[in-house]
Amino acid sequence: MLAILRDLLRYNLEFRIGIVLVGIVFILSVLSFFSPYPPQDVYVVPPDVPPSLTYWLGTTSRGQDVFWQLTFAIRNTLLFGFTVALISRVLALVIGLVSGYKGGWVDRVLMSLNDTFIVIPLLPVLVLFYFVMRDSMSWLMLALIMACLGWAYDARLIRSVAMSLKTREFTESSVFSGMTTREILVQEHLPYVMPIVFSTTMNNMVWSIGLEVTLAVLGFTDINTPTIGGMIYWANQHTAMVAGIWWWIAFPTIAVIMTFIGLFLLAVSMNEYIDPRSRLSRMGGAS
Amino acid sequence: MSGYLAYIVKRLAQFVLVVFIGINLAYVITHATPIDPVEQSISAVTSYGNTAPGAIEQMRSSLRELYGLEGSALQQYWVFWKRILRADFGPSMSAFPTPVSTLIARALPWTAGLLVVSTTVTWMLGNLLGGLAGYYQRNRGLKLLGVIAMGLHPIPYYILALLLLIVFGFLWPVLPISGGSTMNVPQAWTWDFIGSVLQHSILPALSLILIGVGSWFLGMRSLVSNIVTEDYVIYAELAGVKSRRILSSYVMRNALVPQVTGLAISLGGIFNGAVITEKVFGYPGIGSLLVDAVYAGDYGLVLGVTTISILGVSVGVLAIDLLYPLLDPRVKVS
Amino acid sequence: MTTAAPASLADTRQPDSDRPILVVRNLQAHFRTSHFGVNRYVRAVDGISFDVRRGEIYGLAGESSSGKTTLVKTIAGAIKPPLEVVGGTIEFSFLPGYGGLHRAPPAEVARIRWRHLSYIMQGSMNVLNPVRRLRKSFDDFARPHIAGTGKQFEAAVIDHLARVKLEPSVLAAYPHELSGGMRQRATIALATICRPDFVIADEPTTALDVVVQKDVLGMIRGIQREIGSSMLFVTHDMGVHAWLTDRLGIMYAGRLVEEAATPEIFRNPLHPYTKHLIASLPRIGDDTPRKGLEGAPPNLADPPPGCRFHPRCPLAMEVCSRRVPDMIETAPGHRVACFAVNGSEAP
Repeated sequence: MLAILRDLLRYNLEFRIGIVLVGIVFILSVLSFFSPYPPQDVYVVPPDVPPSLTYWLGTTSRGQDVFWQLTFAIRNTLLFGFTVALISRVLALVIGLVSGYKGGWVDRVLMSLNDTFIVIPLLPVLVLFYFVMRDSMSWLMLALIMACLGWAYDARLIRSVAMSLKTREFTESSVFSGMTTREILVQEHLPYVMPIVFSTTMNNMVWSIGLEVTLAVLGFTDINTPTIGGMIYWANQHTAMVAGIWWWIAFPTIAVIMTFIGLFLLAVSMNEYIDPRSRLSRMGGAS
Repeated sequence: MSGYLAYIVKRLAQFVLVVFIGINLAYVITHATPIDPVEQSISAVTSYGNTAPGAIEQMRSSLRELYGLEGSALQQYWVFWKRILRADFGPSMSAFPTPVSTLIARALPWTAGLLVVSTTVTWMLGNLLGGLAGYYQRNRGLKLLGVIAMGLHPIPYYILALLLLIVFGFLWPVLPISGGSTMNVPQAWTWDFIGSVLQHSILPALSLILIGVGSWFLGMRSLVSNIVTEDYVIYAELAGVKSRRILSSYVMRNALVPQVTGLAISLGGIFNGAVITEKVFGYPGIGSLLVDAVYAGDYGLVLGVTTISILGVSVGVLAIDLLYPLLDPRVKVS
Repeated sequence: MTTAAPASLADTRQPDSDRPILVVRNLQAHFRTSHFGVNRYVRAVDGISFDVRRGEIYGLAGESSSGKTTLVKTIAGAIKPPLEVVGGTIEFSFLPGYGGLHRAPPAEVARIRWRHLSYIMQGSMNVLNPVRRLRKSFDDFARPHIAGTGKQFEAAVIDHLARVKLEPSVLAAYPHELSGGMRQRATIALATICRPDFVIADEPTTALDVVVQKDVLGMIRGIQREIGSSMLFVTHDMGVHAWLTDRLGIMYAGRLVEEAATPEIFRNPLHPYTKHLIASLPRIGDDTPRKGLEGAPPNLADPPPGCRFHPRCPLAMEVCSRRVPDMIETAPGHRVACFAVNGSEAP
């Protein structure tokens, strides 16, 4: 797996750009630990100050430093996305692998269930959750709920990988004379599954963060924990756009777009790596 | 013929399953959580001022009855389903005494119109451009489009809607940025009305379309680059079949098949995008209705819109599923 | 733009005309791939020269990685990156002067495709458009070259389909609704309906079971004799070559090692590799144990120097690893590239 990442880094422009973007975002989030202001405090600095040397990204109408707020917001947002991705990976892997390897009626039942969750529009359901739970909906709770609802798409992908690996295994009849099943799984299958897990993780993070931003902007999440969506929500509450405090909205927006494009490029480049034909076509003609 | 029939039955069964699970999910969320929606509504309503305790008690008991929270769990479940099947969601708290179903019926055509038009345009345009980009891989213009698509695709709907709002609302105000139609034009099938509807729908549709086209473009482009290596395409080229014929009849036609499946899968996500877009532009569809209902603590309306959304998306998926065999003749055999 | 199908075969077929229909000289086609820093340069076709005469079936034999398919794809002009033609010429008598389809102007290539040069592809599974009925494929491929109204065309197609024992009803079918054998027969009909001068057939019967195979081969031979086209027939199955082809070329690792009339090859194989191919054919009544060749076909990205067969050759000499043997006409109409057979003096 490390070798794949190293190769991608060396030869794939999209991967490099993606790593840079994600890297910037990550560094920002790490900086949050050095913030001089606790994230939930308000009116710690003069409000509505435009970007300057003292306040690099300006300050908000609530008297917070946009830069330091942003570091917390990015950190929480990334943490959120990662949590959702992690939990839903587990679900997607379990369901996808079981479905793909077992086949038969187990597969049919699981896939019916799977397709159900793909079809159901999640935003209304999440809104309903929020409506019912209001202030007791922490971001962890939200992450859990989203993970339990959002595994379906990737489960299908993993299932088709499992199915193709299953048939390949039977042609590896020589393997039976040598390797144990665990050796096969770890040495042969895992290197093939890992890139797909990686790219689906990136996509899943984009999806979950996007949904969280949407919910937060509407005010449907725990708005006291700073997240990107939360920042935009508060900016809207204080009509920042109309009041001309553009930096309050602009910088979180830029940060989230960077995050998304970065994650997306990572996923795309990993997919390209997996697909042998795209490699050939790039080699033969273009540029 | 029987193969086709078996397929229809399977798809209908799946539809029923989705609706059943979806609505049960709504039930579980609203009835099986420790939070009491009645208390929520009451606290939302009474937070504005002083209300006499007697009035609160009365509110409580009538809300309990209205929300179907009386009786045992089984009774509640039964009442819940009975009302849903009759499309009876009770009166709306925020627009009392207008029934929820009326509010939804008023808002639904707006959303349906916006979604159907923008999804159709997005899907067709995205697939067409993506297909061309996948086939004519050297074309500079198409390659540029690809880069733009890659940049647009990951942007969340909200951000783009906000950007468009800023651009067309403040910087270059040529398009209306809120409402479904101009205020004083009566809602009748007159050119005035239709014209203003169209005008008001441009921005919401635009934000849905710009992002959507990016996604379909990328998917189709990658699909087509794989299809051109298929045996039947190479064979047609060896036979000297004209490029245009190969592009339309061999490449695009085959690429459309998985893209139609993809459309069905993405309907849920498209709906999500529509909700937020409606809110940003004040477009009077069920998305706006949902958001406003939450702000107002209107339990019946929230539940109603959620249920209708699940139903609506499922119907859309079913419709696509039923049309699918027309595109892919192989489905009859399996 | 449309040309009438010839009324009888007597006008077009000129047996043993002295001008060959295909002349290939020193053809070299290579694959250049580079993924994630790993560059590979595969010499799939490395200096091949041969002729195909009018009205003959020329067989190409060899193992799976011998480069047979790359060779015929190059001849047919199906050259896309990462494949490129590095040297040599390909001259069809009906498209003279360009040195190959890849160098000819598109208008000329369009003129000869399917009408003069057609192709039967390997593996009948996926060669026809899966979302269109068979009728459409005939329409797309053959209609531009056959004069007449729609009805006349349909009649001609039905007539031709009868030659491969297919009912007219197959025209309304989708490819997946037909069996493998039926699909392959339909492809053969498709490739021959315009009565082309030259047909390239790449393993057309390999995917079929043995009983169907014999039928299909018979149809191929019947149609070929009737319309008098030349054929380049590729298969690794020596039994099929023995039954079908007039002359036979043996390929190994991207090069031709032997070529002669088919009966001559079987009676008197000269190249050690050919001898092995023939010897490995089972014969009823002969139960001597078959010996396999040692080693494996060479990696064409890094082939052995000199004669590519020398690491596995029982007759290998010192010179074989240094120089590449030329194809020399050892007996009339019988060429071999082997130092052991021809001697190793520099020409």
